[in-house]
Amino acid sequence: MHRIFLILAVATSLAPKGLCQSGPTITLAGEPYVYKEWESFTEESTHGGLINDHIFFLEADGDSLWIGTEGGLVLYENGKWKSWTEEDGLPWKVVMGLAKDPRTGELWLALFGEGIARFSGGHFEHFTQMNSGLLNDVVYGVDIQGDNVWVATTAGISRYNQVTGEWAVFNEKHAPMEEVWTYNVDAAEDRVYFAVWGGGILEWDVKTQVWTDYVDPDGEMEIDLYRDDGLVHVITTSASYIDNVLWAGTYFGLSRYDRRNWRGYMDIDSGLPSNFINLAVGRNGTSCYSCTDKGLGVLVDFETDTWVTYKQDTEDAETWTAHVMVGNQEIKTMSTNLDLPNHFTICVEFMGDDVWIGTGHGLARGIGNGYYDGLRGKGSSAGSFKGPTNPK
Amino acid sequence: MRRSSILLVVTVIGFALPFTTDISAQTTAFASKAESDTVKYGKTPWEYEPYNRFEKPYNRFFLDTLEYPGYGRHIPEPEYVDSVKIGFIGPIIGPIPGLPGSLKTLELKVNQRVIRWDGYPVSHLAPIGTKMLQGTQLAVEQANARGGYRGKIPYSLIVRNDNGNWRSSGRETIMLAYKDSVWAILGTVDGANSHIAIRAALKAEIPVMNTADTDPTFVETRIPWVFRCITDDRQMCYLLADFAFKKLGLKRIAALRAVNRYGRMSIDEFRDAATRLGHPFMAELQYEEGDTDFSRQLRRIQSLNADGVITYGNAKESALVLKQMRSMGMNQWFFGSDRMVTKEFLDIVGKNHGNVAAGYPYDPTRKDPEYLQFIKDFRNRFGEEPETYAAHAYDGMNMIIEAIEKAGLNRALIRDQLAAMSNYEGVTGRIELDAVFSDRSPAFLAILKDSKLEFYTQDEIFSDKIEF
Repeated sequence: MHRIFLILAVATSLAPKGLCQSGPTITLAGEPYVYKEWESFTEESTHGGLINDHIFFLEADGDSLWIGTEGGLVLYENGKWKSWTEEDGLPWKVVMGLAKDPRTGELWLALFGEGIARFSGGHFEHFTQMNSGLLNDVVYGVDIQGDNVWVATTAGISRYNQVTGEWAVFNEKHAPMEEVWTYNVDAAEDRVYFAVWGGGILEWDVKTQVWTDYVDPDGEMEIDLYRDDGLVHVITTSASYIDNVLWAGTYFGLSRYDRRNWRGYMDIDSGLPSNFINLAVGRNGTSCYSCTDKGLGVLVDFETDTWVTYKQDTEDAETWTAHVMVGNQEIKTMSTNLDLPNHFTICVEFMGDDVWIGTGHGLARGIGNGYYDGLRGKGSSAGSFKGPTNPK
Repeated sequence: MRRSSILLVVTVIGFALPFTTDISAQTTAFASKAESDTVKYGKTPWEYEPYNRFEKPYNRFFLDTLEYPGYGRHIPEPEYVDSVKIGFIGPIIGPIPGLPGSLKTLELKVNQRVIRWDGYPVSHLAPIGTKMLQGTQLAVEQANARGGYRGKIPYSLIVRNDNGNWRSSGRETIMLAYKDSVWAILGTVDGANSHIAIRAALKAEIPVMNTADTDPTFVETRIPWVFRCITDDRQMCYLLADFAFKKLGLKRIAALRAVNRYGRMSIDEFRDAATRLGHPFMAELQYEEGDTDFSRQLRRIQSLNADGVITYGNAKESALVLKQMRSMGMNQWFFGSDRMVTKEFLDIVGKNHGNVAAGYPYDPTRKDPEYLQFIKDFRNRFGEEPETYAAHAYDGMNMIIEAIEKAGLNRALIRDQLAAMSNYEGVTGRIELDAVFSDRSPAFLAILKDSKLEFYTQDEIFSDKIEF
């Protein structure tokens, strides 16, 4: 089946533009799951429980959710809100990233302009470039791999070993970094990935202790020469590694890399509502959630290029609409009850079958009743993939 | 940012060299297709577009006006403010004579109050940052003399220092946004620091006006909060390349540039233009900031029989390179960046400068009344002459103030007003913001003649009225 889709994809790319535009009608290869039921939370609706509406990061902790905001740290647990501000010992109110250490249960915080903090036993331990090996106090992300805390700073990468207390730093002198402006980190057991603003994606192999960099092969900022030749652009904003697949978010689209082939996605050729991706997180190797400035773009099924995009169709729309798409072709729309007032989506997190999104003004939870991965009925004659996807 | 550029140059050279003899024919063949593309990023001439002879790109960026679709416009104005704060970030603390790199205590009077920094690290870019601050101050003081914000509330300038070596601009930007609660920020100079600052501004959602960083990639990041009111090195390099290759007919250019980010990024478009015209650099050699002896690199260039040398670096090193070239009997054309167009450069090179040309973002000899008034006001206020960084900062701050007057006290609405200023008449001339809010007004060519700088437009250069 995979080969058939590859052939279709190649045929599509080679076909004359006019032929593509008058091609056969596209139908769904199967039904994607659509989050129609949502719970929304704002500072107003929670009566201050959510202390700030500008949500920067979400970290699931079992059935609880840690929330990094512009105004402090928040925990949503058993339907109740708890928060920490500078008055409670939080070193700095702007929490840009979070990581829960599965071994120790400690929470690590990326503080925007004030280094990092370890939250343990109700107390915050503060690390800055003045008292630790942090390369810079402007920290965009933090993640845990084994004993190590990896930190994405605006001046390079710092690594803290929690057992030995040793710090290591990586910048243009120690790693293949054209630029050092690290924007995001995602650590897995075998590899650690960094989105390096202007420098593409940087990969750390845990076993071999070797860095590998991935950049846009055309080397130009103002164009993408070929769609699938590599990373779509070096202005990367996020890296997400799951099932041996790398998903890379940029402000110019999304890239997928399975360690053999690259695939690029932009708003002209996919269900992405915008190329401006604040964060892209893989749910698995074939599905990725892209938080964009114009809504949430979900690639549900890589093979069939099936998307569900959630956005406000108009600025004053009271609820968001789900758009089911194949490539950039809309198949149908579905109403949802998601009523956040703006679809500038900044972060996403999965909690079992549910999905959480953080926006520039509020937080929402998609209730995943009956959730399933991929497409239901995929491969049946009624829902087979019948046509190519066309550029807009 | 473009680590693969060297590899690409090698690759493109490989493609370009066999075509060297019939490039004009290819240009003609492709011209009709190119002419149909009416919108071009960066006003890039067809012959300087990447891969123009080989492939049409899958997608082109920076052609659509950047949008901010976020929530910020709904944030209500504060009920009361005692001043309308605008942030300034730039390198303003310079080295102590004889003790380069030392910590310094500095006192600066801004808004009638003294700001004191104790033991702050210094920056070699402080002369630029200080001029930038002066231009900014003058604009704010004049706005207050007119009555301040909407004739009622004074503007105040919140000044923060950045130091390129410490990469401090990110944190300072964050503090301006969150602690100082400014409505917009003006700054900074160094390319790396500017990139760091705008990434912070993007997350904090605050407008940033840049008036001094000419790095082309600065705006090539799709940040809808960033504006630049100075013509960049893309425009200046295109003009320099046109002059060197089309006007003078040179073919063998060698580069000797600073190894830092400024040298690396700012020469980029000239290097690409040279390659795409079929005249790739004979060599691209480097020096460290602060170097004073360039004889080793110059001997290498001398051996290559280059008919032109280009440098990108600070005024002092550029001047020393030129001086040593001439003393070695190297009389080739010498090209460089706008940072050469300074008194410091002229003082060092002296009379034996030979043929020298540099890109420049505006015409400092213009005679229009607004510009002359600015010079007069600047002299009266600071007792010294303004230059490019002061003039552009003055324009940039006036654009911010005008945007605040129209928008009110809301960062997103201020952004919208700045985004709407596609044509702004400043003291440096018309500022033409493109889809990514970068000034695309034409660059000027500065030619050194008899120890004096003369400034020419593209049309003047190719008018055949001037002999070079």
